[in-house]
Amino acid sequence: MKHLPLWRHELRRAGWTACSPAAALAATLALTAAAAAFGTARPQLERILLTGLEALIPLSAGMAAVAVVSRDPSRELQLTLPTPYTTTLGRRLAVLGGLSAALSIAFSAALALGGWWNGPGLPYAPLVWAAPLLWLTGLALLVAALGRSVVLATTTVAAVWLGEQLFATSFATTPGLRPFFLFMTTRIGVPTDWDANRAALTTSGALLAALALILLRRPERLLTEEET
Amino acid sequence: MTTARQTWAVTRYEFRMQIRKRSLWITTAVLAVVLTLTQGDRGPRHLPLGTPPREVMAGWALLMSILLPIGFGMVLADRLTRDRRLGLASLLESLPTGRGALVAGKYLGGLASTAVPAALVLLTAAAAETAHRHDPALFAWAVVAFALITLPGLAFVTAFALVCPLLTTAPLFRVLFVGYWFWGNMLNPDLFPSLTGTLLTPLGDYPATWLMGERALYAGADGWLEFLRPQPGGTTTVLAIALLLLLSLPPLALAPPLLRRRNLSA
Repeated sequence: MKHLPLWRHELRRAGWTACSPAAALAATLALTAAAAAFGTARPQLERILLTGLEALIPLSAGMAAVAVVSRDPSRELQLTLPTPYTTTLGRRLAVLGGLSAALSIAFSAALALGGWWNGPGLPYAPLVWAAPLLWLTGLALLVAALGRSVVLATTTVAAVWLGEQLFATSFATTPGLRPFFLFMTTRIGVPTDWDANRAALTTSGALLAALALILLRRPERLLTEEET
Repeated sequence: MTTARQTWAVTRYEFRMQIRKRSLWITTAVLAVVLTLTQGDRGPRHLPLGTPPREVMAGWALLMSILLPIGFGMVLADRLTRDRRLGLASLLESLPTGRGALVAGKYLGGLASTAVPAALVLLTAAAAETAHRHDPALFAWAVVAFALITLPGLAFVTAFALVCPLLTTAPLFRVLFVGYWFWGNMLNPDLFPSLTGTLLTPLGDYPATWLMGERALYAGADGWLEFLRPQPGGTTTVLAIALLLLLSLPPLALAPPLLRRRNLSA
């Protein structure tokens, strides 16, 4: 309980950055409404709603994670405190992850209750968004720590996201790329190797995030190359 | 000091600040190499020998337009918001330079600094193609393709990337921009209501289609908002470019009052 004010502070501090997942879902609903108004068939609408979970929430979390680790006006002060700065960063990332997870679970539940859910069985539903979220966030953090540049990290996330959308067929049919296909549920459905795909994304995502946090333990990695 | 001179001064400094950014060059180089290597059989690298240079360079310009503006949007997203964060907003407010000149200068400087690496990428592609195809006209067509395909889209992206973060914050803008780029430029309009293939597409679909002599991506294709997808040709190319340049103006006009509200609310 004694850490509660700290968590509340981090939640308030996150500000507009924490709104990214909510904005992603709002955009999903707006696109679905527009598609429905133009007579798009129901299965297609269900797929758009699922895209919000599998594609847009992870994208927003990855971009927001870069902002979390790259912006802190009192970074030098943080480094002098007894609490390791990586712990503080971890707490801030946990706030972001928690918000994204809460929104995604609420959205999935709403879709299931409304009969609009078109994904795997509900026990596996969190893997639709959690696996790509972890992978994109891990990648974003690692590039941010290695490149020490917001532009490089956000562009990398954007390029990978767009690349997997544009070359979805190649990712789906190339054996070496298929385990790392972020949008398998919305582009293919739930094939027999869906579990393997989610496991590969989750494991490699956790590895990328762990590598990034190890790098961020070195104070010089926290100093961005260009002002952000 | 006239407004024009003030704008020119801001433009020069903004350009010099941006052009020295390490991330601008690394991002451009990485994206250009990735696009070149992953372009597939339909890419300009695989066009047969004897293909008119106009088509070859239009293909390269369109290929680079798929991802390069994403990197440029990321670079430009904090250019107007950073002054307040760095504590410079009140200092800039005290200068004789008006907010209009500041915004115009930052816009022109930002546009020029992103146009330079984009132009260099196309000239590099032209040099590589010249070694392969032995046609020096490729350089001239690289300049034409840059002016017709790359630059209008860049003018559009620069205006929105500078001003939208004043409303949304830079991190949120970056997310929305990537989503918009996919939805508004590359999503098949026949499958889903989108702005892809319309006159408002900053990817340069209409100019590329006109230069290539065949549909480049979705220009003029069937789908949602069909009245915005007229038959591609010379007139519609001019119209598409004019519309993109025109649409760049509202955000720029909105920027000075937004900056005023933002700077004075501190």
